[in-house]
Amino acid sequence: MEYISTGHGETLTNPVFHWAWMILLAPLAGFLFQAALDKKIEQALGKAAGRRLLGFFAVLPVALGFVVSVVLAVNLAGLDEHSRLVITAWFNWIDLQTLRVPFELRIDPLSLTMCLIVTGVGSLIHLYATGYMADDRDYPRFFTYFNLFIAFMLMLVMGNNLPLVFIGWEGVGLCSYLLIGFWYEDIENAKAANKAFIVNRIGDWGFALGIFLLYWVYASSQAALPLNETRYLSFDVLLPFAQQVLPEFGPLVVTAVPLLLFVGAVGKSAQWPLYLWLPDAMAGPTPVSALIHAATMVTAGVYLVARTHVFFELAPIAMAVVAGIGAFTALFAATVAFGQTDIKKVLAYSTVSQLGYMFLACGVGAFGAGMFHVTTHAFFKALLFLGSGAVIVAMAHNQDMRNYGNLRKYIPITYATMVVAWLAIAGIPPFAGFWSKDEILSAAFFTQLVQAPQLLWLIGWITAFLTAGYMTRMMMLTFFGQEERWRKGVVGAHAHHDHASTHDNAAHAAHADFSNTEFFLSDEELAAEREHEEAHHHDLTPDHEPKEVSVSMWFPLAVLAVLSLAGGAVLSGLNPFAHLLGAHLPHLFEEWNHPSVGLSVFDPEGAFRKSVAIEWALIAASIGAAICGIAFFVRRYAKGLPESEVELQGVQKLAGEQWLYDKTMVRLFVDIGGKFANAFYRIFDAGVIDGIFVNGSAKLVGAFGLLLRRTQTGLVRFYAFIMAVGVIALLSYVIYVTTR
Amino acid sequence: MEGFGILSLVIFLPVAGALVALLVPRQMENFHRYWAWLISAVTLLASLQIYNGFSGNTMHFQWRESVEWLPALGIRYQLGVDGISLWLVLLTCFISFLSIWFSFHVKDRVKEFMIWLLILEGAMIGVFCALDLILFYVFFEATLIPMYFLISIWGGKNRVYSSIKFFLFTFLGSIFMLVAIVALYFISRNETGEGTFDLIALQALAADGRLAPGALGLWLFAAFALAFAVKVPLFPLHTWLPDAHTEAPTAGSMILAAIMLKMGTYGFLRFAFPLFPEAAVQAAPFLMGLSVVGILYGAIMAAVQPDWKRLVAYSSVSHLGFVMLGLFALNHNGLTGGTLQAINHGISTGALFLLVGMIYERTHTRLFEDYGGLKRRMPMFATLFLIIMLSSVGLPSTNGFIGEFLAMLGAFQAGANENTGIPMWMPVLAGGGVVLAAVYLLWMFQRVFYGPIKNPVNERLRDIKPWEQAIAWAFVVFVFWLGLYPKFFTDKMQTSLNAVRHQTIQPPGARPAWADVRTIDINQRGDVVVVERNDPNDLGNWTEVAVRVPNEHQPQRIAMGGGE
Repeated sequence: MEYISTGHGETLTNPVFHWAWMILLAPLAGFLFQAALDKKIEQALGKAAGRRLLGFFAVLPVALGFVVSVVLAVNLAGLDEHSRLVITAWFNWIDLQTLRVPFELRIDPLSLTMCLIVTGVGSLIHLYATGYMADDRDYPRFFTYFNLFIAFMLMLVMGNNLPLVFIGWEGVGLCSYLLIGFWYEDIENAKAANKAFIVNRIGDWGFALGIFLLYWVYASSQAALPLNETRYLSFDVLLPFAQQVLPEFGPLVVTAVPLLLFVGAVGKSAQWPLYLWLPDAMAGPTPVSALIHAATMVTAGVYLVARTHVFFELAPIAMAVVAGIGAFTALFAATVAFGQTDIKKVLAYSTVSQLGYMFLACGVGAFGAGMFHVTTHAFFKALLFLGSGAVIVAMAHNQDMRNYGNLRKYIPITYATMVVAWLAIAGIPPFAGFWSKDEILSAAFFTQLVQAPQLLWLIGWITAFLTAGYMTRMMMLTFFGQEERWRKGVVGAHAHHDHASTHDNAAHAAHADFSNTEFFLSDEELAAEREHEEAHHHDLTPDHEPKEVSVSMWFPLAVLAVLSLAGGAVLSGLNPFAHLLGAHLPHLFEEWNHPSVGLSVFDPEGAFRKSVAIEWALIAASIGAAICGIAFFVRRYAKGLPESEVELQGVQKLAGEQWLYDKTMVRLFVDIGGKFANAFYRIFDAGVIDGIFVNGSAKLVGAFGLLLRRTQTGLVRFYAFIMAVGVIALLSYVIYVTTR
Repeated sequence: MEGFGILSLVIFLPVAGALVALLVPRQMENFHRYWAWLISAVTLLASLQIYNGFSGNTMHFQWRESVEWLPALGIRYQLGVDGISLWLVLLTCFISFLSIWFSFHVKDRVKEFMIWLLILEGAMIGVFCALDLILFYVFFEATLIPMYFLISIWGGKNRVYSSIKFFLFTFLGSIFMLVAIVALYFISRNETGEGTFDLIALQALAADGRLAPGALGLWLFAAFALAFAVKVPLFPLHTWLPDAHTEAPTAGSMILAAIMLKMGTYGFLRFAFPLFPEAAVQAAPFLMGLSVVGILYGAIMAAVQPDWKRLVAYSSVSHLGFVMLGLFALNHNGLTGGTLQAINHGISTGALFLLVGMIYERTHTRLFEDYGGLKRRMPMFATLFLIIMLSSVGLPSTNGFIGEFLAMLGAFQAGANENTGIPMWMPVLAGGGVVLAAVYLLWMFQRVFYGPIKNPVNERLRDIKPWEQAIAWAFVVFVFWLGLYPKFFTDKMQTSLNAVRHQTIQPPGARPAWADVRTIDINQRGDVVVVERNDPNDLGNWTEVAVRVPNEHQPQRIAMGGGE
């Protein structure tokens, strides 16, 4: 392994930075361990003890990664601010004379920030999952995928070149696919998994084109890159030289690079128009929703934009697009959240909306604020999802809020932590969400980098009001009110496994020879298997008594509640109050991340023209929006579920159906596209090419043959004859031509 | 350099094994199984020796064998491998061994089945080693006969139609190649006074621009290209493939997909490009266009197949499009990507056919509607299938990604550079094939493995047996080996690919010739260099004297410190 430091070009000798590989390899080792030994351990130790051991070894590597991340962060902070970039390289992955892609990790404030989130929140969610999944028959398989996800996610955030990021990028997509389809016997889950992977691939198409374009630009640039450097796709080549290299190629390329990268981000971070997969992804177990579809994976797009921010800064159009898409998605998804009855779907749209905020921040040039929101969002959204998981467990796996009510009485710990998360996401000071959201809104108002920033601010502000609103609706329907609605009868379709009867396939069954016991189970074995598989059913019944969850589940809730309560205030150093009052409290998060995500093309003073008076007004406005949102919807739902929401109606129903966007897309690309492809196959491939040209010409030759020789004996011989004639004719001609 | 050597051994060992088997009575089925297994295993081991003695530092053919065959007609028995054919020979031995092993499932006419497989193996290795056009043509056609019988005797319901279609398609294509080969003989006689079918001698003429420049060259290129395009297959010459692949027995499908399609891509690299450089450069945009159409078309067709094996067959059309996309880019990334992707496709699609074959042995149906929920009863089978499927999807860290990534990168470069004549929309649209690959492959996986078990047959299925797992794991090893450490493979092929590239894109006179064993070679940076070679037999050892054609990609930057 070798070190490169691009801070001042010096070589570092502190061996502690080698440990970065441990962060990555520990979960990978965990994955291999679980994948290879899960069944054996369960058999050897029995189900309960085996699962405790497997669970322990699932949490351990992630927790270890967190500890190492902390150590690295401390060591990195010990370096001079401009030297806070260490690269540790291992062997070469792709090694051509035209391109070298080593396995290399980048240790800088941004990557460590992401590492701390991924391993910190990740180990809490792993711990939670040992409780949540305890009775699942595929418990070991769950943690196999979960550890693999952590490894890929760390590769994504630590990789020092775009192909490595791409490994992580598609790798987390794979784990997401596997975990959404975890309960694969319900075909709807499998379909949701496919949708996630495929929609992400559309984004990856753009991302890959962006990588290709960057390669072409850097490989053919005349600018002064380091001597003999063929690591064209490594960040330490791409980023520092961007301002010299890119303008060489004209405005089209300068704009295309960030936009193509952003297409990838739109897919992974579920922005309009590719957000479609995320709500369906809620089919996975709830810890998956918390870890992958809220706290970490979906923020990868924001990470990518922040990491490559210099490309975005060079292209004003790209910045405007990022801000516009972000703002629109934030507002759009917030409206959709009002039309949901499934508690996890509310949170899913909330995630889409919050990710929109993060892109809004990036688009207006406040990359640090965007990353800050990634962090606080990881705290409170993980908490919300884990809390909803606790609610779902308490309610016998029924996710329909119309069946809830007054749950605070039954699950007080969950309730208390959820209240913290609610206030955090609503943006009530001093909870975490307030600080980051306020920074974003203030940046959107003051930015000089895009046109009409006040409009962006207004959209963000309205969204803040709506956010407080739909979260209040969710909390009121779940925890408050006197009516315990499930006691009056359970409504709505609830998730259940598909028990389609084994239909009669006698025609095909006839081929199979059941007496071949090499291939098939005997009657006795089949009976044993069926008994073993008898699934236990969760059904919410009116006499159900909700119970508080076990300690392995509520402990992570409590930790996340503390972070959601104080994390924002501590990390932001009480900014903006402190700086408006003239006090000097360091904004820990922004100062730490400044070397990675601080503006590098624009001057920060010029980019944001702030005024103290207006800033106070903005703070007041956003707190006001949050309070109004809460107050308004507390009143509306104080008495429980309004009559109009037992079955959603009118605008609310339309909003819940994503204003028909999903339906239109499915109709267009799945239904019509599928019909088109089928018709195309029948008419063109089987009809024109194979039918007319291939078999047609064969028939033509055959008919011709019949005409010539009515007594022909077989088609093959005739072909051979024709061929022989043809060959002789052609040979004679060629010999004639070439010897002339 | 003269006489017979290891290449002849690996070609004729399987054939000799087949001859011995011929003498053993057909009732001794187990003898025939284990004998074929043993012979192909020994061949595989012997082929590793080719790798061991192979140097990646020279563009010239290694393990050369050259013996008079028909001196009156200028035909020689001439063999040799370079960095391109090396891997295809090894792949052939690998796939042949595993497909023979899997054919232990065959219960019907075992003796003949194994004999045909062994003969086929020898002929295929011959294709990748032959350096004489007539010898190449003989091997090329010789592969058709065993495959024809494998399909028409052991195939599915529609086997007769499919086998005849397969035979006629490929035969028709190669007949034009034969005409072109004969034409080359007369051209060389006109130029040098002595006609030859020797690839090295002919390419030396092409290097000087004396081998059919102009319109005649275009026609001859077209004749070669037609033969290879049918084999690849390029759209719209692909319709033999779904029928043949689907109806063939499992071993036949594996070999067809993994190796016989590669004869087409290999033919372009070995013959069509070096012999007709101007024509190749001229035709590249057109052929790349067909590749892109093939990528998308094959993917869309794959998506609508109700038949599991037919879906995999159509996916080959799409994947081979990526191979050709890379090759026609005619730059280093593209050529490397295309060549790697050819190997990758052999691994991934070979394994897909293997796994489909495993389940077909049990249930005797290939229709998706008969499957569903298999993961519950067959977790190991599902895991193996998942890994192979992901490699076919091109997930980064598997083999499929490296090939597709480099091929598309090369195509993108070619599209961005204006002087190639390749428009930008081609690589951009090709990227859509990657999305569609996810569509049809994931949907396939869903329909087979996910959902409840609906068919009572599937409820009784046992997981696959250890020896079947062993075959599948052998593929998985290469999925990750190629995916995580492709350097092992690219190191040995870079020099040869540079040779082909320079032979194709440089003007006459600047093209390196394989005939210049003593004076011309390619160094590790990809430059064509003048060398001094003390021992003409030691190809790996030379002293660089001067640079003749500098590599366009060589980074020549001034030193400069960083700073963000």
